[in-house]
Amino acid sequence: MLSAEAVDVTFGVTNALSEATVAAEAGCVTGLIGPNGAGKTTLFNVITGLQQPTRGRVRIDGEDVTKLKPHLRSRKRVARTFQRLEVFGSLTARENILVAAEIRKRWDSTPEEPRAVADEILERVGLVAVADQPVDAMPTGLARLVELGRALAIRPKLLLLDEPGSGLDPGETLSLGQLLTELAGEGMAILLVEHDVELVMRISREVYVLDFGRVIAQGTPKQVQADRNVQAAYLGAEVPA
Amino acid sequence: MTSFLAYTVIGIATGCIYALTASGLVVTYTTSGIFNFAHGAIGMLMAFTYWQLTVQQGWPQWLALIVVLGIIAPALGALIQRTLMRRLYGASISTTLVITLGLLLSLIGVATIFWDPGEPRSLPEFFDGHRVKVFSIFVSYHQLTMITVAVLVAIFLRLFLFRTRIGIAMRAVVDDPELAALNGASPDRVAAVSWALGASLAGLAGILLAPLVSLDIILLTLLVINGYAAAMVGRLKSLPLTFVGGLALGLGEAYTIGNLPSNVLNIVKPALPIFFLYAVLLLLPQARLRVGRVVTAHRAPRVASLRESLVAGAGFVAVAAILAAVLSPGDLFTVGQGVVFALIMLSMVLLTGYAGQVSLAQMTFVGVGAFAMGKFFGGGSLLGIIAATVLAGLAGALAALPAIRLQGLYLALSTLAFAQGMSALFFKNANVFGYGGRLVVKRPDILGISFRGDRAFFVLVCITFAACGIGVLALRRGPFGRRLIAMRESPAACATLGLNLTVTKLAVFSLSSAMAGLAGAFYGGLRGQVGLNDFEMLQSLVLLLLVSVAGINTVTGALMGGLTFGLFPKLQRALPGIPSLSFLGAGFGAIALGRNPNGWTSDIGPNIARVRAALRRGPPAADAPETAPEVFVTPHEAVGSAQR
Repeated sequence: MLSAEAVDVTFGVTNALSEATVAAEAGCVTGLIGPNGAGKTTLFNVITGLQQPTRGRVRIDGEDVTKLKPHLRSRKRVARTFQRLEVFGSLTARENILVAAEIRKRWDSTPEEPRAVADEILERVGLVAVADQPVDAMPTGLARLVELGRALAIRPKLLLLDEPGSGLDPGETLSLGQLLTELAGEGMAILLVEHDVELVMRISREVYVLDFGRVIAQGTPKQVQADRNVQAAYLGAEVPA
Repeated sequence: MTSFLAYTVIGIATGCIYALTASGLVVTYTTSGIFNFAHGAIGMLMAFTYWQLTVQQGWPQWLALIVVLGIIAPALGALIQRTLMRRLYGASISTTLVITLGLLLSLIGVATIFWDPGEPRSLPEFFDGHRVKVFSIFVSYHQLTMITVAVLVAIFLRLFLFRTRIGIAMRAVVDDPELAALNGASPDRVAAVSWALGASLAGLAGILLAPLVSLDIILLTLLVINGYAAAMVGRLKSLPLTFVGGLALGLGEAYTIGNLPSNVLNIVKPALPIFFLYAVLLLLPQARLRVGRVVTAHRAPRVASLRESLVAGAGFVAVAAILAAVLSPGDLFTVGQGVVFALIMLSMVLLTGYAGQVSLAQMTFVGVGAFAMGKFFGGGSLLGIIAATVLAGLAGALAALPAIRLQGLYLALSTLAFAQGMSALFFKNANVFGYGGRLVVKRPDILGISFRGDRAFFVLVCITFAACGIGVLALRRGPFGRRLIAMRESPAACATLGLNLTVTKLAVFSLSSAMAGLAGAFYGGLRGQVGLNDFEMLQSLVLLLLVSVAGINTVTGALMGGLTFGLFPKLQRALPGIPSLSFLGAGFGAIALGRNPNGWTSDIGPNIARVRAALRRGPPAADAPETAPEVFVTPHEAVGSAQR
């Protein structure tokens, strides 16, 4: 579904990403973990077109979209959430999802009635009780769910989630995990950035580990957990070459 | 060859001044993230202070220079930062615009109190009368001074920013304020220093420029627009490029002046820097959509339902009908004009209040509307009103186009350039408003009903406002309105949902300017004629600020803002000792209240509730949550910034 190939992003003299290659398949959750500043959000920005890579390519369904503008790229059914929230704060949760469905109706060849879409998604992400509250007044965890719901409203084939679990309590995290597994089960490709490593390992089929802009490990959760480079990146231990 | 050399010298000298002005703007912008629209006004105020000390009090030049540039200007700059700008961290672009524009108008207003604008003044050149022959041409010592000063300032800025502790801290703050703060640079102190420095640079430019033009409050204030273009060349970041931009602009201007026939030149000359600004905006690369801003949020006012707005609209028209019957012709005119202004402000509610975009050219669109109404279809027909609306809508698209793919500030600057260009090329063009610069605008007959009488026309104006108000609210409740709010609150998120931001911005710009054009048809009809000075850019600023103060998010805010502005001519007659009363009122109002986009009208409801509660001897009522005006950072935003 998605492949980012040998992506470099350079800010001045620092490399935010160096030859990062990441792929996400339809029908499963792909985990993306790494310490703060590893380049996870930058990679999301490259995939969604908010950041032009210095080098490298982004393909969606095999099509090269590297030069495509953000809004046209989203129309390939790529949706995302943001680590630092980008909700429409003065609108209610329902309106956040509704406006996304309405925007989609303008470009999608198979439109649905936006209000029905909003109702369905509110139910699905569990926001019915707070549907008519302005998002500004919500705690972080709920606001993140609003972003998730808003992303779902464009019926994405590829969903990029940037720390959807932060601010959620253990119970909510559990239902988030279930929801993501369900969505993947319906055929969606999900790329998940998350600090909650336990959650990532539990629901991902494949996991990438980024550190200093490089992919330092890749494999099944088990393989990654056993990887010495990964342990070093997370624990700061010296690894003999 | 000789004249080429002469124009080169003139070009370099003026280019140096543009560079000086622009470098001051860049220094403050990079360290505080605020584009200081009052930069020119600070320069103007310093030039006048310098004139006061030297020409009036007879101080020696060197002493006056030290006092003005070394003490007064930096103190003013630091004071502005401490009292106003410090509170704007994380504010939206429209809020920072409103505050700095408020400062601009306030400073103009204050200057007119001290220095009567009617009195001609001039500031002598430095080393007046001295000149030196270089090759075949004469160069005045003043021109040499300008060039020398610019070179010295460039060297000073380079050393200051790269060799001194505070200068290095300033550059660090540019890159990442939070990180710089962690390393011990107080962003606040750095910002104060940069504002002090910026004010001195503005003063220096003002003092050097004033002898070349006349010592005129408005003229000196607006000359800074020439500096904007230079600052854009440096993309508001790079000082070396800013100096290059200043020189390019100065030289380009001088060569154009040297080569155009004088009849064309007279029309084109005032607009040259505007063309340059337009061109630079067109060439600027598209800015990246930023994510992860911490924007201080305001709780939005509740949007009235269709039923509520219909009832309110009917009530408004009923009150208008009663007023039409009882008011004297003079009062009717005052209120009628207030409602016309309210209609103009309603166009700003749509554009700025809802969509978060800023236009500094609404009066220009009003002018286009009045022009269409007066000139087309015999002047005074329904078709004329339609023409006014359509033509202004097209003008709005034209004004926004160069910068439509850029972010808010550049778009506002584009409209500023448009307003100034239209003023120079269109409104002041003898062919447009006819002989004497006055165009007669008649009132319409619609569907066989004559609205030529004062009372009938007043009711028509009020019906139009009510209809537009209901329309704007309906728009706000619908999909387009939601898209506008979404675009205002996160352009990046909108793009990732597949929204074409350019088309959306263009649509709201055209719609807003069309509404301003509609207001223009009534503005002309109410007054009977319009003149070339009715549509100045500064008037647009006054309107923008007054509606911001009253509440740029609501129809009520527009109505109250319009009526307030309608009262100013009366107030002005009562207070002849304070010229530019509207500038002072709008300016200080914006400075005091401009941070709350919901405006003072949003306080009315909760306050009535509070008074009622007090009358019932109960405890004070809690503010109704949907209209509570307090600024608050939302919990998740606070968490977001703490995480960094």
